[in-house]
Order: sequence, then C-alpha cells, then structure tokens
Amino acid sequence: MRKVLIVEDSGATRELLRAALETLEVIEVHTAVNGFDALKVLPRHRFELIITDINMPDINGLELINFVKKNPHYKDTPLFVVTSEGREQDRDRGLLLGANEYVVKPFAPERISELARRYLKL
Amino acid sequence: MSSFADLLDRFFYRPDEEVGPYLELAPQTDRAQDPVPEEEPEEFLAFMLEGETYAVPIGAVREILKISDVTEIPRSKKNLIGLINVRGEMLPLYDVKVRLRLAETIPTVRTSKDVARSARVVILRDPEGDAGVLVDRVDGVVKLQLSRLEEAPQLGIDRNAIAGLGRRDDLLFILLDVEQALS
Amino acid sequence: MAPRALTDFVAEATEILDTLDRELMALEERGSGDPDPDRLNAIFRASHSLKGLSAMFGLEGLARLSHRAEDLLDALRLGKVHLDDTLLEALSQTVDVLHAMLGEAARGEDTADVKERAEVVSAELRRLARGQAVESGDVLDAIGIDPSVRAVFTEYEEHRLRENVKKGVGLWKVRAVFGLDDFDTRLTELNRALKPLGEVVSTLPSSQPGDDASIAFDLIFGSGRDREEIQGALIEGSSLSPLGRVPVPPPSVPLPTNLPPKKAPVWDDVSVSGPALTPISSSGSGISSSPSGLTRLSGGAPVETSMRSLTNTVRVDIGRLDGLMNSIGELLLIRSNIERLAEAARQTQGTALPKLWGQELQREARSLERRLDELQKGVLEVRMVPLGQVFDKLARLMRRLVKESGKDIAFDVSGGDVELDKLIVEELSDPLMHLLRNALDHGVEQPEQRQARGKSGRATIGLVARQQGNHVIIEVKDDGNGLDEARIREVAIERGLVTRDQTEEMERRELLNLVFQPGFSTRRDVSELSGRGVGLDVVKTNLQRLSGLIDIESRRAQGTTFTLTLPLTLAIIRALMVSVSGRTYAIPLNSVLEIVQIRTDALKTIEKREVIEVRGQTLPFIRLARVFGLPEEPRVAHYVVLVGLAQQRLGLAIDDLLGQQDIVTKPLSGRLRGIPGIAGATELGDRRAVLVLDVGALMEELMRATPTSTRDSA
Repeated sequence: MRKVLIVEDSGATRELLRAALETLEVIEVHTAVNGFDALKVLPRHRFELIITDINMPDINGLELINFVKKNPHYKDTPLFVVTSEGREQDRDRGLLLGANEYVVKPFAPERISELARRYLKL
Repeated sequence: MSSFADLLDRFFYRPDEEVGPYLELAPQTDRAQDPVPEEEPEEFLAFMLEGETYAVPIGAVREILKISDVTEIPRSKKNLIGLINVRGEMLPLYDVKVRLRLAETIPTVRTSKDVARSARVVILRDPEGDAGVLVDRVDGVVKLQLSRLEEAPQLGIDRNAIAGLGRRDDLLFILLDVEQALS
Repeated sequence: MAPRALTDFVAEATEILDTLDRELMALEERGSGDPDPDRLNAIFRASHSLKGLSAMFGLEGLARLSHRAEDLLDALRLGKVHLDDTLLEALSQTVDVLHAMLGEAARGEDTADVKERAEVVSAELRRLARGQAVESGDVLDAIGIDPSVRAVFTEYEEHRLRENVKKGVGLWKVRAVFGLDDFDTRLTELNRALKPLGEVVSTLPSSQPGDDASIAFDLIFGSGRDREEIQGALIEGSSLSPLGRVPVPPPSVPLPTNLPPKKAPVWDDVSVSGPALTPISSSGSGISSSPSGLTRLSGGAPVETSMRSLTNTVRVDIGRLDGLMNSIGELLLIRSNIERLAEAARQTQGTALPKLWGQELQREARSLERRLDELQKGVLEVRMVPLGQVFDKLARLMRRLVKESGKDIAFDVSGGDVELDKLIVEELSDPLMHLLRNALDHGVEQPEQRQARGKSGRATIGLVARQQGNHVIIEVKDDGNGLDEARIREVAIERGLVTRDQTEEMERRELLNLVFQPGFSTRRDVSELSGRGVGLDVVKTNLQRLSGLIDIESRRAQGTTFTLTLPLTLAIIRALMVSVSGRTYAIPLNSVLEIVQIRTDALKTIEKREVIEVRGQTLPFIRLARVFGLPEEPRVAHYVVLVGLAQQRLGLAIDDLLGQQDIVTKPLSGRLRGIPGIAGATELGDRRAVLVLDVGALMEELMRATPTSTRDSA
C-alpha cells in the first residue's frame, strides 16, 4: 500500500479527500487535523504523498511545506497544497518552497485522484 | 612628612588647594603617643569659628573647598547662606555661627571677596543631603579618643549642636553635632 | 449531496458559525480599539474555513457570503481597514444571515427572503472591505529581513511582523526543542507563557530530522519587555536569542522589496550568505536549512549561523539619555569658557600673535558649538515618541466608556503621529483621560436634548494634537452642553472656594477657571466614569508638572474645548534670563506668554492688590522682588513677564531682561527640597548657579492671594 498523508482541519473536507484518494485502491490514507499533528506522524511513516491545507491554527501550511521539503527524508516526496486560499502571494510562496501542486477549493474530487495517480505513477 | 600631612593629602588634597599653611597651625597630633594604647583614637577635622576651634569626625567630611560664587535663595531657611555649584552639583551652604551663638546675623556671601582669604567651605556628608558649612579657617586633622570626650557644659543656652569637648595638649576642640548644627 | 455528507457538512459548518459568534462577541466586548490579533485571525480563519467547506459541498450562496466576510476580515487582520462599530455590526448581521442560510441548506430550502438579506449584507461587507489605501514602503525592507525568512510567512504573518516592527518592540527568536510525543502541548504551554509579554508572530518548525524523538521550533516573538522578563517566562526546553545581531546592510545594497523572482530559488540566497551550506537539491545526507537560515544543520549537529537582523532598534534607559544631556550641558559650558579665553586673547594689547590665536580659537569654539547643538538635538530626538502611544490607549478606553454611557457619541482622534518627549507622553494619559471622561460625563447631552437644541443626535468628542513650533497643542473637545458659568459660580460659593462678592468682579474666563480649584465638581453624583471625585485640579497639577498650559473655551449649548500646550521636551528648556534687584533668575520660556513694559502710573489696584490690563484682560501684577523679599528701587516703568501655567495667567515684574538661554535644570535635592517658587538651579558659563523659577508653584501661591480667598487679609 502507498501511504498518503492528508493535513486538513476541516473534517468534512478531509473525508472528501479521503474518499477521492481511496478510489485508487492501493492507497492507505492517514490524516492529520493540523500542522502539529502532521509533524507528529511524519517521522513515523514513510509517506509517498502529502496533501496539506495552508490555513491552519498552529503552524501554517507554508511552514509545513518548508519543513517537509527541507527534510532529508521527505524532500523528494510530492506535496500538494489544497486550499481555498486564493491569495497569490501565498500561492507563489508555496510553490517556491517546493509544493508540487496547488489546488484551489472548490475542486472536483477526480482532480485530486488524477493528480495522485500521476505523482505516484500508478 | 608628618602623618598629619599624609592624612591631609589622603583626604583633602586637591590640586587647587593650598595645603601648606595649614601645617603650621595643626596641633601636634603625632608628638605624644597616647598613654592608653588599646584605644585607637578617632580622627577629626578641626576648623575655626570666631576664634573657637571646632571639630567634626573625618568620616563626615566629603571635601574642603575654597569659596566660589554663592547664589542667594529667597525665602529659604535662615541659616542658609545660599547655593554653591560643586562641579555641577548644587549644594546648600550653611552658616552655623548663629546657631552656635557666635554671631548675630547670617553673613551675606556672594563671592570669595565677601569672606576672609582663609575661609573655606567644608562639605559634610549627611543622609539628608550633603551640605557645605562656611568656616573661618581649616586647621587640620586631630586624633581624639572617644572615651575621653567630655560632655558639653550646660551654659543655659541652646548648645544641642555640640556633641562634646575634646582636649589635646592645651587645645580645646568643640565637637560639632553635624545634624543638629544644620537643622 | 449524500445524506451522510450533508450531515457532516452541517455539523462542521454549525461549529464554525458558533466559533464566529463567540469570537465576534468577545471582540465586541473588548471594545473596538486595538483588537487582539490572535482573535482577529481566529475569526478570519473561521470565515475562511466556512468558505472552503461550503464551496466543496456545492453550497454557493454560503460560500459567496462567507467569502465576502473573509475578504473583509482579511483586510481587517492585515490592518487595511480599522475595526469600528459599523464593521462589527455588519459582521454580526452576516453571521445571522449565515445561520439562516445554513438552516435552509440543512432543510433543503432556498428562500428569496434569505437570499435578499444575503445580498444586502454582502454589499455592505464589500463596501467596508474597500478600506484605506495600503501604505507604501515596507518596514520589513527597511529592517533588512532576510527574504528566506519571509518566504515561509503568510501574508498575514508578515503583516503581524510588520506591526511589531512599527511598534518598535524587540524581536526575538525563541528556540524550543520538545519531544515528538508532547511538543504540541509544550508549545501551547510556551505560547501561553509568552502571550502576556508580546506576540508570537510565527512558529517555524525546524526541518532538521532531530534525534527521532524530538523536534525543534523557532518562535518569532515580538515583545516590548526586556530580556530578563522574557527569559523568565520560558519553559524548559526553550531558549531565547535576539533577532538582531547583524546590522542592517548599507542602503547601497537595496533589499528585494518582495520575494526573489521564481527563477532564483530560496536556497540560492541562503548558500550565498552561508558558505557551509550545500544546496538542498544536491544533498542527500542530512544537510538542511530551516526557512530563514536561522539554524542550519550539518551532520546532525545544529550550527548557529549569523542571523539577519529583524530590527535595528535599541532600547535605552532614559536616565542614560539624561546623563548624556548633562554631559552636553557641561561641554557647552566649557565651550563658552573657551570663547571667553579667545575673546581675552583677541583683546590683548600690542602683540599680534595672541590676537590671531584668539580669532582662530573663537572660530573653533563656534564650530564646536554647532556640533554640540547637533548632538543635543540628536539626543533629544531619541527621547521623542509619538503621541499615538497614549492616544491608542485612550481610544480603546473611550469606546468602552461610550458604550457604557449609553450616549450616542463619535470619538475622533487625530495627530497621533505628533512626537513628544517620552516622559511627557507617559504623564499625559491621566490628564487626557480625565478631560475625556469629563466631556463624556458632563459635556455631552442625551440625544433627545441635543435634538431639542437643534443639534445632531450624535455627539462628537475629539482628541486632536498638532505641533506648533516648540510646543505641542492637544485639544480635547466636545460639542455638548458647554460650561455653565452660573452653576460654576454657585458651586464655587457653596464649596467656599470664593465669596459671592468676589464672583461679582470675576470675568467669565476667571469663573470658568474655578473648575480647576481643588474640591470643585459640578456634579454631586460621582459617576463611575469620572472617577472617585477627583476634579480637574488634578489635571491642572499634572500639567503644571509638565510645564504645560491649559485653556478653556466654552460656549453654552455648543460645547467645550480644553487646549493643552506642552513643551516638546523637559530635558533641556529654553529660559528667559531676568534680573531682579541685581540677582539673576531663569524663567522657563514654556511658561512665558509675552513680555510687556508697563509704566508705574498705569498700575491699578483691586482690593489693594496691583493689577495690570493687557489687551482688555485684567491680570495680577506681582513684583518678584517683593515676593522674594529683595530690596526694591522706585522705577518709572516695569518689565512685566506675562506667565501662564495650566489655566492661570499673571504678570511678574522684573528689573531687566538678560536674554534667552538653553538650560538644563538641576533639581534642588536633599536639604534644599521644597523651597517655594524655585524649580531648581542651572549653571551659567561662569559656573555660577542661577535659580530657575517654578512658575507653577509661584502662580499657585500668588493666585491664592489674589482674588479668591484672601478677602479677610486684604
């Protein structure tokens, strides 16, 4: 199974994402409800894809991207930002920090599964 | 050099001070050793007020200055001669003669010309604030044994400002109670 | 939507709306001055989450309205618009409509009524979000913040950092290393400890892999407190370092105003400034860089490298500035001594050489004076702080008080950027608060009464500052009742402050000034607002201490204006040197209104007290020589220095004017404390001590003897 981490504080959105990814069958979805939660689970697994929101209460998504992309274990792991953040500056920064995709809500669940398929080379 | 001169240097020497003349006037503090050696004599600064010799503990003396310009302070306490500027610090200059019944009136002093050439300002340390006292002449340092100080005689007038009397050879030193004298 | 998904959605949306409700209410309670940034951000986040959630679940109406709210809240948290009652009102209406929309969504309804309400609040939100123009020039550029630090900041975090820089507080890095198991609770604990001392702008997780059991964070913390205090708040596992070791680069190397262009990846910048760093892309062996280059890791061991300065401010004890000021004062004295020597040399008879030297020396002395003036000005400038520091506090408090008073009042503040000596600014909040409370309590009428007077139902209380020469003018004004002379007269008589006969002779202005008498208060019932019976006399006392003036301008039923005139600084003052019976005195120019010459035969007496008339105003005429018990000589005319402090004015007769001089007043301490009418002493070029008059105390003393309470003795 390929492990994917979803970092998203909205439970409903989290479940939508999970449902979209699970259509790919070989995927094992882990979730974190905020940045801290993510920092806790990241070292415990070997995730092959990370999907994160930007706007979170503890550390922001940009900081998480930076952490992931500068971390030797995760620097090559694909990371998607899924956010309703339309702000251009934040988007640019996310991409600069190494986010591979920047998906703005609302999005069709198929778009996420399609992207996941591409990055995980399924 | 005599130990007195050393002391004078140690405590009071300032480049602009004429230390010399005081030496001759100084009591012979080091001539006769005290017969009771177990008690260390205390040091006092002796000075003249209207022909009488007064003394204050050395520890209470901060410095000795020649008189410079004095600024009159209107509506201040009667025994205040005025304000002096000691290297930027504004200090009061007091008269103690009236308090000690040595004079009738507080002198008007504005410049060094208003006082005798030998007159000095003795700056005394005091918890209420350092203050200068105008004296006619500074004599020097004298060693007196505290146990041998005499009580001030009751002369019927207010002599609260006197802490006691000290004798050294034939000289009488009237010990000033600084706090009282300035009040 | 599947029923299950809908239930999920409604549950979560309700939760978000509850948060919105709660936070908005808390915001309202706090007043609308300077809101807690964390609270604003929480509200913003709630609206943002609701927008995203609604959009995901296809509820366009909800998504649109929460989007509008989000835009406004974003502008608010980024400081582009300011929080006020209108805005709060619009937000709470929005939440009501959102509740209604969510209810409809849950029931599968969609009514025109709710849609219409949504349109209305949506338009209002849009109008409010337009806000003010964003200021140009970025303080973050000015302080030389490393672009790579900024790279991980969201626009919002950047805004908060900017606000902290603007406030001039210190910026710190708190490094925290916590166990992987409990770092979140520890961080919460650390945040809770730091929060009362300042603002945690950002929490940056360090990207080092650590020892598998721990993780490091860098908290960017802005705080006005000193190092010890912050240090004291730290919990185990955290440590403090200033974000300001490296000076700002010279201006010749302009910093990028924004992000580096996309083609230049962040780590290129980092590797330039840190030779030990290997670009991340080519590294597979534990070399990493945290976002800011704050801490770099090499082979698992943390290496602290030079950190770019986030701020270039230093905090200085004002006592040290006073010390500097004194030194400058002494240097100025030495300069005038040199000038005197030069002059003496120039006057030397005969030989030419000393004359030449004298001229040269004089030139040098002049240029020394110029430099010293600059130095003095520089030191003075360091002491200056904007009045906004106290205005903001006052505005916050006023909003709360206005709300409690139940009156309809607009509070206008302007001139917060005017700068004054820090010591003065700190002393101003009490008197200003008092005047404002007074305006609110006694000045402003109830709306009905205002309308009956033909005024708008909404009253205005203003707090306005402006600089005028060497002074700062602060006005506290209201458009309310105005002061009632008749009532003031009655109260003053009732309180035994004046006799009825005395009031007969008083002009309107004098009558108004009675409100500054201790024990005067026109209202018996001491309201909670105006404090425990403390009167305007406190305001007067405070102002006197600051060498300030206070004037009242009041029209019945139209309003009252209190005008405060304050010196820019107290450290060094300009004084008028005067001579009285051969003595020299310094009168602080702050208190001098003007100087006139009066012929002795133009003097009049009222109740055996001498008065003069200056432009129609009758003022007490006081001979300083007489007050000080100095010998007087008969003269045909007098120089009269008209002095004023707080609300009082009088004429001081002196013999001669000697000119003006900048002086540093040394207080008379110890045994000399409390000499009436003397504020201190200053030294002139010849080392002579000159007394500085305490105009406030003198006036206090002399006014007591004129016209109010000395009937019996006269």
